Amino acid sequence: MLIFGNLIYVSCLLINAIAILSEDRFLARINFSPSSYDPAFGQSADASVQAKIMNLIASVRTLMRIPLIVVNTLIIIYELVLG
Amino acid sequence: MQRSGYGQSPPLHHPVPQHVSTVPQLRSPPPLTSQPQSGYDGSPYQQQGRAPSGNMFGQYGNFINDPAAQLASQFGQTAFKQGQEYLEQNVNRFVSVSALKHYFNVTNSYVINKLWLVLFPWRHKPWSRKQTVSPSGQEGWYLPPRDDLNSPDMYIPVMSLVTYIFLQTLIAGLRGQFQPELFGYIATTALVVVIVEILGLKLGCYLLSISNESQLLDLVAYSGYKFVGVIVTISIAEIVNGGKGTGGVIGWTVFAYTFFANALFLMRSLKYVLLPENNNNAQGPMQTMPTEGRAKRSQRLQFLFFYAYIVQLFFMWILSRP
Repeated sequence: MLIFGNLIYVSCLLINAIAILSEDRFLARINFSPSSYDPAFGQSADASVQAKIMNLIASVRTLMRIPLIVVNTLIIIYELVLG
Repeated sequence: MQRSGYGQSPPLHHPVPQHVSTVPQLRSPPPLTSQPQSGYDGSPYQQQGRAPSGNMFGQYGNFINDPAAQLASQFGQTAFKQGQEYLEQNVNRFVSVSALKHYFNVTNSYVINKLWLVLFPWRHKPWSRKQTVSPSGQEGWYLPPRDDLNSPDMYIPVMSLVTYIFLQTLIAGLRGQFQPELFGYIATTALVVVIVEILGLKLGCYLLSISNESQLLDLVAYSGYKFVGVIVTISIAEIVNGGKGTGGVIGWTVFAYTFFANALFLMRSLKYVLLPENNNNAQGPMQTMPTEGRAKRSQRLQFLFFYAYIVQLFFMWILSRP
C-alpha cells in the first residue's frame, strides 16, 4: 500500500507540475504553446512529437485544473491530519 | 404438516412441543435415531437441545412452500440477474471479456514452447503472428495462442506474476524474515511496475501516434513476460549464492543473460505491435514522402529500443532485488 500511495503522490505531483507551467512566460518562449505553434511546411498539424506533447500539456492544463484543486486539498488535509 | 395442525389443536403459545412432534419424522441420520426415544419425554434440557436441528429442517420445508418466500426468492433472483448484467456491462466497458478469453486460449505445448522462447530467443526464426481470414474472406484476425507460438498470451504473465510473489516471499521466509505484509508489499511492487510500464508505453504510443487495435492488452501481456526472466534469475542466484541475495558474479551473469534474452524477445515481438509494416495511416498527400516515413520509423525504432533495453533493465533490476 505504501507503494500505491507513492504512485498516487508521484502522479499528482507530475500533473501539478504540468498544470503550473505558464503559458506566456514559459511555453510560448520554447515554442510549446498551441497559440504560437507553427508547423513546418508539409507537416500536418498534429503528427509530430512536439505537437503531441503540446496537445497533451494543453489538455492537461485545461482539463485537470479544477479536479487538481480538489485532489490537492484532500492530500493536504490528509497530510495535516495523519502525516 | 404444521399448518394443518393449527386448525385442529388449540393455539399453543409456546412453540416447542410442535417442533418436537415433527422431529422423528424428518430426521433420518442413524446416530441420532439410535439414541433412545425416551429423551423426548425426558428432561426438558434435551428437548431444548434437540429442537433447533429439527426446527431448521421444518422451517426450511416451510420456507420453500411459503408464497411470500417464493416471491422473495423470485425477487432475489431477478435482482441477482440484474446485478450480474450490470456488472457484466460495466466490466465489458473497461475490458472486453471475450478479448481476454482470446489471451487465455493456451495449450501445454504452447506454454512450454513460449517459456523456452522467452529464455532462449536467439535462434527463433519467424516472429510474425499468423493471421486467419474469415470464411467470407473480408476480415482477418490473429490466431489465438493455441495455434500460434508468436501470439501474446496472458497465461504466462499472470502465472509468472503470482509465482514471482510467492517466490520472493518464500525466499524471505527462508531467511527468516517472513511477514504476512510481505505478500501485499511484493504484489504492489510488481503491479506498480506493470502499471508504470503500461502508462509509459501508452504515452509513447500517443506521442509517436502509433495506433493499433487491441493494442493495450498486447502490451499488458508483453510487459508480463519479464517476470519469467526475473524468476529464473532469482532462483538460480539464490541456489548458487546460498541464500545471500542476487549479487555475485553468477547472479549478475544470469541477470544479464535473462535481461538480454527478454530484451531481444520484446524487440522482436513488439516490432509487430509498435511498427506496423504498412504505414497507410497517412492522411495527406504530403505525408507519403518517403523521408518522413523513414524518420517516423526510426523514431519508433528508437522508442522500441529504449523500451526493450533501458526500461526493462531498470524494471528487471527493481524486481530482482531481494
